[in-house]
Amino acid sequence: MRKNEFFLVYALLLAAQCVICNYFYLTPYVSLSLLPVMVLCLPIRISSALAMVIAFATGLAVDALSEGLLGLNALALVPVALARDGILSLLFGRELFARKEDFTVHKNGLGPVTLAIILSQALFLAVYIWADGAGMRPFWFNFARWAASLAAGTALSLIVVPALAPDTRK
Amino acid sequence: MPKSRLFPRILTAAVFIILEMAALHILGKNAQLQRLWIARGAHGFMGAVWGGTQRIKDYFSLRRTNEGLALENTRLMEENARMKELLDARELDTMGLSLKRQRGFRYLNAEVIKLSRNKQHNYLILSKGFEDGVSEKSGIITREGVIGIVDAVSAHYSYAFSFQNKDISISARLGEEGGTGLLVWDGQSSRGAILKEIPLQYKYHRGDTVYTSGHSLMFPPDVPLGVAGESKIINGATNEIQVTLFQDFTAIRYVTVVHNTAFDELEELEP
Repeated sequence: MRKNEFFLVYALLLAAQCVICNYFYLTPYVSLSLLPVMVLCLPIRISSALAMVIAFATGLAVDALSEGLLGLNALALVPVALARDGILSLLFGRELFARKEDFTVHKNGLGPVTLAIILSQALFLAVYIWADGAGMRPFWFNFARWAASLAAGTALSLIVVPALAPDTRK
Repeated sequence: MPKSRLFPRILTAAVFIILEMAALHILGKNAQLQRLWIARGAHGFMGAVWGGTQRIKDYFSLRRTNEGLALENTRLMEENARMKELLDARELDTMGLSLKRQRGFRYLNAEVIKLSRNKQHNYLILSKGFEDGVSEKSGIITREGVIGIVDAVSAHYSYAFSFQNKDISISARLGEEGGTGLLVWDGQSSRGAILKEIPLQYKYHRGDTVYTSGHSLMFPPDVPLGVAGESKIINGATNEIQVTLFQDFTAIRYVTVVHNTAFDELEELEP
């Protein structure tokens, strides 16, 4: 996918995330987020440092445009950008970086892609829920929220991942 | 790690820290609960950092602390000895005797800079010499016992025979009022000694404390040395008692040098 196309999809998903934050309040146990998969799918050519800056700006934009706490998404999303290279290397190998080739579900398989999404979601939600609770909520509540949000977020991310990482083979 | 890979890693770490700090700052500014939470975390972190640096500082100042304690220990020993002498003199006065005790000890703290422990004739070297006030034939003690006897002094160092030396024996007393004998190193263990020539008429119990007798010209009386253990009768005339020393010779660092101010005068009297 060309860079411009990717960032157009990225901007649309950012808008979708703002809509989710403002209008899709299901239960206190579920926080739906597309942000981890969006950061995970950033082009492989983008360095970790730049990916973190993009993640920070994305998180801040969502916080500013929705009714959440300003800084919360940014705080949780930057670690995902930091861990992105590690997650991709672990699941898809270093050759992905050597060839500077973005991953796709078709090329790399649904299993590894799902696992990558789960890892990024898990990290994002751990920081998000921990900071949102500010040490005031009991562990079992935070854990239940983390588990339910992880399941829901992973399912939603699997729906949008083909748009972010489409198969380019003719 | 190659230089070319190190720089991007440092940059990544720096960007991560800056962005996370910025996010925490923004979060703290906009939410009361999170502000308190961040402040609590920051205080905890600062407490741990300051506590850690304080512990490191304390560790590096241990030497100074130990030197201060050694000095204080020497001062207290000297004061204790002076008080004992005053009490003894007072006791003699009440008995109607006009005898005055002339004997007194001078105390000086020193650091052990070399100590041999694996020979039959062990020695130690102290960090002070005659310019610091150390004289030959001075005793070396700690609050846990006798360490040795100064044999030779240079301007800044002293050479001494360790108590763990087969040629050294010191006059020791069993219990508060018990018999007096010679205490020597057993030649085998770090804390083992033998108290010899205790007359049979003196009764003792295992666990009784052994002290310096005060009959020696080099050591003040009543320095605790160890505890009595098993005994055996030698030639049907005297007891020989195993003693476990208080002093652990593997952990000696600071000692007190004691010098009898009347040593030369008293030695001249001896045949």
